[in-house]
Amino acid sequence: MIHMIKKHKNLLNYSFDCIKRYRMRTAVILITFLVATTMISAVLFTKDGLEREAELSVEAAPDLTLQYLKGGRIELIPYSYADVVSDIPGVEKVLKRTWGYAGVGQYTFVVVGLDPEGLGYSRGVITSLEEGRFLTPEDEGTGNIVIGKLLAYMLNVRVGDDIILLSESVEVNKFHVVGVFSDASSIYTADMIVMSLSDADSFFSMPEGYCTDLCVYVSPAEDPVSVASKMNSIPNLRVLDQDLLLRGYKAAYGARGGIFTTLWTILLVAIVLIAFSQAIVVGHESQFEVGLLKTFGFSTLDIIEVRLVESLVLGFFATSLGMLLGFSYAAFFNAPGLVDILLGWAYLPREFRLPVYASLQSIFSIYAVTVIPLLITTVVPAWLNAITDPELAMRRAAA
Amino acid sequence: MIEVKNLTKIYNRGKFNETAAVVDVSLKVKDKSIVALTGPSGCGKTTILSMIGLILTPTSGEILYDGENVLLASDFWRTIYRRQNFGFIFQHINLLPQYTTLENILIPLYSSDIEPWDYEGKAREWLAKLGIADRAEHLVEQLSGGEQQRAAFVRALIKEPKYIFADEPTVFVDEETSRIIYNVFSSLRDSGKTVLLSTHDPELMKIADDTYRFCKGRLV
Repeated sequence: MIHMIKKHKNLLNYSFDCIKRYRMRTAVILITFLVATTMISAVLFTKDGLEREAELSVEAAPDLTLQYLKGGRIELIPYSYADVVSDIPGVEKVLKRTWGYAGVGQYTFVVVGLDPEGLGYSRGVITSLEEGRFLTPEDEGTGNIVIGKLLAYMLNVRVGDDIILLSESVEVNKFHVVGVFSDASSIYTADMIVMSLSDADSFFSMPEGYCTDLCVYVSPAEDPVSVASKMNSIPNLRVLDQDLLLRGYKAAYGARGGIFTTLWTILLVAIVLIAFSQAIVVGHESQFEVGLLKTFGFSTLDIIEVRLVESLVLGFFATSLGMLLGFSYAAFFNAPGLVDILLGWAYLPREFRLPVYASLQSIFSIYAVTVIPLLITTVVPAWLNAITDPELAMRRAAA
Repeated sequence: MIEVKNLTKIYNRGKFNETAAVVDVSLKVKDKSIVALTGPSGCGKTTILSMIGLILTPTSGEILYDGENVLLASDFWRTIYRRQNFGFIFQHINLLPQYTTLENILIPLYSSDIEPWDYEGKAREWLAKLGIADRAEHLVEQLSGGEQQRAAFVRALIKEPKYIFADEPTVFVDEETSRIIYNVFSSLRDSGKTVLLSTHDPELMKIADDTYRFCKGRLV
């Protein structure tokens, strides 16, 4: 046992020596990995951040969202649907909601009008405020609003200030800021203006008796999916549960913005770079060394162990450093050059900060897609050389 | 004793460029002797040396060490046998340029359970004997051809192997180094080692106990 430990210690020392001595080999792997993992990490951590945003958005959403379909297109929903839906067993509360987009300067923001009867049902990031207060039933029709932090920053307003928005009918509307959302969510509440339902109806010139959609909250004991299934028979009604919304948000935040295309392109480039660096740049040197070591009495397993340790140490070090750089590039520098590809939204202002989050799954994925190809591209050739006659391996390397 | 029976090596067998490097060679190497393999370039000396040194697999034939046909053993067993019994000196020296002289000498020890740096003193003694003690900490590229060959000698001898295989050990070195090499081989034989070498050098052949001459892969 002691002999085995001593031998493995020797092999380990030899591996570390290789890292120090073969500077070209070490530099090629380090640089390749740093470039590859920095890019992958920036994209993946941003994707994680966006998915987290999607989850936060859904947490703030009602159990079910009802939309009215006409000819397959979404249209305004009559208030009468709220009465029909309220009678369905399991439905605790049905709230009207009116929302749309408003322009402030060159930017577009989301305006949401909430039903004063159900402000208590608001949950998630929408209730997380940095400054001021949330709306109360008394704010109905008063022009009081709660705005996103990004919007507050863009317009340079704070609680107590007034802002002017141009309405649907191109009329000047003055609103009074009573609260500013916190940055618990970077996207969902960042560009949001929450006002009372009547203010929103008036702002968007909504026809009497209509709203954009209905928010359904089911009793805690009920399953939203089974409650939703009871609404299938209601004509022209589209029911969105939280799962469906989550998928929609993730698609909107991620896939549509080119995240996955970018990610897979980077991965492909990374793997090709690693394979190239191993096969071309360090191939002959490594082949000769393996032949020589085999001559000295290093077994095939010894050689695999040496290369495995060398690759693991280099791979983990370079990948970890790359992840750190990638995270910093996205989180602290807002991924210049990548942000437009990653998000793909035209209306997001430059001041928008990328939501960056490093999930364990992504960290493991990055290690897997970088370290494993490195192991394969170093250990497999080393093994192939080690099972070749040492004399031939050295001759081929020298040729 | 090493006994070689009907050893043949054919490269690229069955292909258009098939080459018979060694054909049906049989020879014996007595223990505690120096045996020289000689002949013109391309006659197969290095190939025979490599096959007997178990770093090249023959196409056919037998290699017996103390009566055991080692070609029947696994690659792992042959590797261990090499580790424990063989020392190699290559025509092209084959020192690793990234390491110093001393580190190159100790590399073969990393595959065993001994502490390589425990052999530092012994390595320095050998370097002193061969007149390059002051080159121990130099990188290989800072050594002359003769100094590199002497370092390669020490590397081959550091584990005190029973068999030493030397491929054209004097071909790239000056007269002074050649003389040192003759003396080292003689003293190795005197200390009970077996030396098998390939050479063109008539002086080296003079110290050999047996000489085998080859031509076009065949023993003549």
